[in-house]
Amino acid sequence: MSTVSTDNLTKIYGSGPTAVTALGHVSIDVQSGQFVAVMGPSGCGKSTLLHMLGGLDRPTEGTVSIGDIPIAEMPDNRLTELRRRKIGFVFQFYNLIPVMTAVENAALPITLDGVRPAEAQKKAAEWLARFGLADRLHSRPDQLSGGQQQRVAIARALVAEPSLILADEPTGNLDSRASDEIAGLLADVSKKYERTVIMVTHDPRIAAYADRIIFLKDGKVVDETVLDTSTTESAVMLAEKIQGMGD
Amino acid sequence: MSVRNALLGLLLQHPRHGYELRAAFEALVGGKQNWEVKPAQIYTTLARLEEAGLVVQQGVEQESGPAKRIYAVTPQGRAELDAWFETGVEGAHQRDELFVKLMVSLALGSDIPEVGPQQVIRAQRSRLYQELHGLTAQRNAADPKSELAQIFLLDKAIMHVEADLRWLELLEARLDDICDQPLPEPEVKPRGRPKKMID
Repeated sequence: MSTVSTDNLTKIYGSGPTAVTALGHVSIDVQSGQFVAVMGPSGCGKSTLLHMLGGLDRPTEGTVSIGDIPIAEMPDNRLTELRRRKIGFVFQFYNLIPVMTAVENAALPITLDGVRPAEAQKKAAEWLARFGLADRLHSRPDQLSGGQQQRVAIARALVAEPSLILADEPTGNLDSRASDEIAGLLADVSKKYERTVIMVTHDPRIAAYADRIIFLKDGKVVDETVLDTSTTESAVMLAEKIQGMGD
Repeated sequence: MSVRNALLGLLLQHPRHGYELRAAFEALVGGKQNWEVKPAQIYTTLARLEEAGLVVQQGVEQESGPAKRIYAVTPQGRAELDAWFETGVEGAHQRDELFVKLMVSLALGSDIPEVGPQQVIRAQRSRLYQELHGLTAQRNAADPKSELAQIFLLDKAIMHVEADLRWLELLEARLDDICDQPLPEPEVKPRGRPKKMID
């Protein structure tokens, strides 16, 4: 089953001689539960693609489907609802509300959706506990490290139980250790909790956590690679090769 | 050199026979899945070390089956080992297979349009991401309480692959410019006797 697909997806900003093609004829298919990284130089269209997939922006041409529902032509109110129920967003700068605690932040999407605060917070607390933050439920963002804040943001993205998580440079503001933690956690979100995760990143190390990498350049898919752990060489053999060591 | 000197070091730790030496080496590097040495390599290396006067046979262990010769390090071997520890290990970054593959693909140019430099870069990128994916999984599976040295080795491999991927990125971004430049040509040197100038 495919959760997310695009067909001939094109986005042109502006018109006439100043028109810029941010995405040109992109057709991708992401299977349910897959963890996909989207890479490419800045300006390649990766954020535009993510915005189209999340229904945050409308295509100039082509289609986007989320769980076999076409969203490109969907009226605003229905699109907003689908976005709230089916898609979770994770951003580079976490976008947490400073005056609210971790659990209040994580509960926010369903609180706004009409779930009673006590119930919403119970659900949020469950996600936070899964992400190792059981003892930080009542901390405010400024009392948490960057990595912890991003974990709260991922809990918030999952609290409405969406099937799709879209992450835009989720490790862009973190040091390498916290980046690894967040990338590992997103891999868990896909494997353990069976959500589809699509992540934009420019960091090769973070992209390597994914099942599949899509490379964009000048608004087009130029390459793609599927990653499989079972066929990998061991580290020492690799180190040996790098060093040109050995008798 | 590294296997040879590692074996020398393990013999300095205490005298051993070949079989034991091989097991000790493989344990040190984290198992034979990491770095396998064949028995033949152990025995050839021991023979060479003995010939060079760096180790000496100290006795024979015979329980059941064939006799096992036990080797120990000589003072000369000790000096060799000291020199190894005191010298930095050379990084062999310039004799690079990918680089030469890329240059050959540039040289062949339109003779091999289906496997040009862009394809070389893509195949390498895919390969490196595959390695990075596996290394990351291994690193995250390792136990920092008992396998810290292995973790650092994996970190080293990860950092190298990461650097290679970044390099590929730069290369790909400038590939058109590289293609526009002339290929390095060998310097033509006159061979044999100089030809007589004929008017």
